Amino acid sequence: MSMAEFTPDTTIRLGAHSVTRRFGELVANDGITFRAHRGTIHAIVGGNGAGKSTLMRILQGMDRPDEGVVLVDGMPTVFFGPADAFEKGIGMVHQEFMLVPGLTLLENLVLAQEPLDGLRRIDRKKALDAARKLEREAGVTLDWDMPVDDAPVHVRQIVEILRLLYRGADVLILDEPTAVLAPAQVQELIVLLRKLRSEGRTILFISHKLDEVMALADEITVIRSGKVIGAMKTAETSKAALAEMMIGEILSRPNARPSPVGRTVLELRGLAAMDARRVLRLKELDLDIRAGEIVGIAGVAGNGQDELIAAVTGLGRIERGSVRLDGEDVTKLGLRARRERGLSYLSPDRAAEGLCLSAPISENLIAGRHRSAALCKAGVLQKGAIKRHVETLLDRFSVKRASAALPISSLSGGNQQRVAMARELDGNPKLLVACQPTRGVDIRGIAFIHQCLLDYREAGGAVLVISEELDELIALSDRIVVLYDGRVTGEVARGSAKVEELGRMMLGETRKEVAA
Amino acid sequence: MSAVASSARATPAIGWRDVALAVAPLVLALVVAGIVLAVAGHNPLEVYWLLLKESFGGVKRIAATVAASTPLILTGLATAVAFRSGVFNVGVEGCVLVGGLAAAYVGFTFVGLPATLLLPFALGAAVIAGTLWMLVPALLKARLDVDEVVTTLMLNFIAVSLTAWLVNGPLLAPGSANSATPMVVEAARLPRLMPPSTLNAGFLIAIALLVLYWLWGRGTALGLETRLAGLNPRFAIASGINVPMLIIKMMLLSGAIGGLAGGIQALGTVNRFVVGFSPGYGFTGIAVALLGRGSAIGILLAALLFGALATSGATIQLFSDVPIEIVNILQGTVMIFAVARFGWLLKNRQGGK
Repeated sequence: MSMAEFTPDTTIRLGAHSVTRRFGELVANDGITFRAHRGTIHAIVGGNGAGKSTLMRILQGMDRPDEGVVLVDGMPTVFFGPADAFEKGIGMVHQEFMLVPGLTLLENLVLAQEPLDGLRRIDRKKALDAARKLEREAGVTLDWDMPVDDAPVHVRQIVEILRLLYRGADVLILDEPTAVLAPAQVQELIVLLRKLRSEGRTILFISHKLDEVMALADEITVIRSGKVIGAMKTAETSKAALAEMMIGEILSRPNARPSPVGRTVLELRGLAAMDARRVLRLKELDLDIRAGEIVGIAGVAGNGQDELIAAVTGLGRIERGSVRLDGEDVTKLGLRARRERGLSYLSPDRAAEGLCLSAPISENLIAGRHRSAALCKAGVLQKGAIKRHVETLLDRFSVKRASAALPISSLSGGNQQRVAMARELDGNPKLLVACQPTRGVDIRGIAFIHQCLLDYREAGGAVLVISEELDELIALSDRIVVLYDGRVTGEVARGSAKVEELGRMMLGETRKEVAA
Repeated sequence: MSAVASSARATPAIGWRDVALAVAPLVLALVVAGIVLAVAGHNPLEVYWLLLKESFGGVKRIAATVAASTPLILTGLATAVAFRSGVFNVGVEGCVLVGGLAAAYVGFTFVGLPATLLLPFALGAAVIAGTLWMLVPALLKARLDVDEVVTTLMLNFIAVSLTAWLVNGPLLAPGSANSATPMVVEAARLPRLMPPSTLNAGFLIAIALLVLYWLWGRGTALGLETRLAGLNPRFAIASGINVPMLIIKMMLLSGAIGGLAGGIQALGTVNRFVVGFSPGYGFTGIAVALLGRGSAIGILLAALLFGALATSGATIQLFSDVPIEIVNILQGTVMIFAVARFGWLLKNRQGGK
C-alpha cells in the first residue's frame, strides 16, 4: 500500500488498516480494519482467543503488525514502543492496575510527572489543583490523600484513568474495565466514560460483556478468530445479533435439572476471620452446603469473600468458629489435609495461584495429584500413565492444545481455565470451592464450565461458587447468599433471584428492605 | 495435529536460546576482560590462547582442570538444588568448611579402621556436618519465613571462624605452628585417578551425583514438586504440595552436597583441613549454578570453565608476564555476567511470595 492512495481522515483518532499479526502458524490478527472516531466510544468485542489482546498490544505500541498499519489521526503510523504511542496521546488502562502501593492516590496520579517546587519537592498544591481539574472533567470526587491500599477497586480504576489524562492521553484503551466492578459501580464507570467522551476524548473499550457494550459504545467492531466479523453503530444492532457474531452460533443455556440434595458436606459455624492487615472482614458467618447443591456467594469485592475462601480452603487462619467437611471437624487442618479429605479449590487468581504459567500443561493438570498411586510409584513418576491420564482429561474437557508438554501460558485464558477445572474435578472431590470460575473466559467457555459444575452437582457434588458475575450466580446456584461487610444480608433460592435485588443487597440493604 | 508428532517435538531439548543465554555471559566477559588486557598492554588474543593451552593443552593440563572443577561441580549442584525450589542458599561455602573439617577429623582420628570403612565414614561425616549446618536456616525459612539469604550468608562467617578456632586449638596438629589439622591417614584418602595429578575419585562421585540430579529432576515426584514450588510457590501451596517441608528437605540436601564437596576436597586433594581450606568454592558454586542455568550439563560445563580459569591462572604467570590478577579479573567478569541472570531469578522469587 502506498501512502498516496491514503486520504487522511482526521476524524479517525485511532484505527487499524488491514492489520495482520502471526505467531508461527497462528494468525492472531487477520486483516483487521477498524476506525475509532474522535470523541466517540468504540467497542472491540470478541471472545477469548479472538485476537483482542494482540490488537491491543499493537495499538499501544507494544507489538508491531506483520502487515497493515495503525492509523493515528487518519495517518498510517509506526509506533516505536509504548512510550511513542503515549506521545501520540494513546494510553491504556490494564486489567491489572499499575498503581504503586504505599503511596496516596494523589501521589500515584502525578507519579513520574510530579509538579515540583523551588526545592524540587513535590508541589502538593499544584498537584491537588491538577487533580481537582481532572475530577471536574470526569465528574467524580475522590479523597486524594487516601493510600492506594485502602482504596476500593473502582476508585483505583478511576485513578488509573485520571492518571492517563493527567499525563496527556486523549485516547483511552480500556481492557475489560468492568471485570472487577459491582453492578452499581459499572453504572458509575459508564457515566464517567460518557462524561469523558463529551469532553472530546476517544475511548476504545474491549469487552465480551454485551450488556455494557450496548449501554456504552457508539460504534462496535466484532472480531472472531482474528478477523473482523462486523462493524456497526450500536443503535443498529442488538445483543442477540452481537452474541451470534461473536460465537458464530447461539449456545443453549446450561440447564439445571432439579437434583436431590444429600448429606451436609460443608458446615460453617460462627466463622470470623481477619485479612492480612488484621481488619476483621468476616463476622459470624453460618453456612451449610449439602451434596448435590450449588451455593453461590454474591457480594462486592472486599466484603469477606477472600477471607471466606481462605477459611474454607484452609489457606488462611480464622479467629473464631468451626469448619466441618463431610462431617469431620477440619478447623485446625491446613489446605493439604483438607484436600486429602475431599476438598477441591478453583482459585480466583488463575495466573498467580490457580496455575503455574511457565510449567507445562501436563504438570498443571496433575499437580497435587501427581503422588496418587496410579501416577507415581515409590516416588518415581509413571510417564506413560501420566501421559494417558493427561490426554484423557484434556480431551474430556475439550482443551485445544498443540502439545501437553508446552507451557500452559501458550493456551488462551478460556482453555487455561478448562485445565484448572479439569484438575479440580479429577478424583471425585466432595466439595468444590469455585472462585470466579469463568473470569476472563468467553461465552462458549462459560457455557462449558457452567455445564461442568452442573454435571458435578447432579453427580452428588457440593459446590461453593464465589463470583462477581451475578448472571453466573443466578444461572448456577440453588441458593445465593449475599455477603455484605462480613455478614449475610440475604439468601435467595433458585428461580427467585433478580439482578437488581441482589445488587441492592450487595450494597448493604437486607432482604426485607429490598422487598419493601 | 497428531499427539505423537507434537509430543516428540516437545520433549525438553536444549534450544539455541538456552545455549545463547549460557554462552553470552562468557563472550561478554571475554570482551570486557580483553579491553582490560589491551589497556594493560597485553594482546588479549595471545593471553586467551595461553589460557586455553594452560587449561586444556594436553592430558596433564586437562586433568588439572578437571581436578579443579570437581569441588565446583559439587558446590554448583548444592546451590542449584536449593535454587530449584526457590530458596536462595548462599551458605554452601560454610557447608564446605564444616564438611571438610568433619571429614579430616574422622580421617586422622579413627586411624585403625580399614579403607573400606574409614573412607565412607569420613565422607558420611562430611555429609552430616553439611546437613546439620543448614538445619537452622532451613527451619527458620520454612517455619518463620526468615530470609535465607541473610541467615545462610551469616553462617558462612561463623563457619570460617569456628573452623579456624578448632584448627588453631583442639584440632591443631601436634608440633605444628600453622593452622592445620594432622594429615589424614592413607586409608581415608580418595584414590588418585592419574597421579601425580590431584584428580581423584571425588570427580567420579561428582559426575554420578550430576547424573542422579538429572534423572531426579525429570522423573520423580519430588523433582516435580521442587520445580513447581520454585516457579510459583503460591500455586504449589494451593495444589496441596507441602512447600515448607520441601524447603527444609532441599536446604538440607543442599547442605549435604556442600558438605560432601568439602569432604572430597579434604580427603582427595588437601589431605587435611587448613585455614583458608576453601578459596570460595561455595561462592563460585553460585556462579556455576547460575551460569549453568540449573541444568546438570550446564553445571558441568560452567564448573569446567571456572576450573580451567583457576588452573591456567595459577600457571600463566610462570610462563608470561601476565599477572594472575588479570585472570582473577576475567573470572570476576564472568561471574558478574553470569550473575546478571540473578535479577531474573530474584524477580521470580518475589513474584511468588
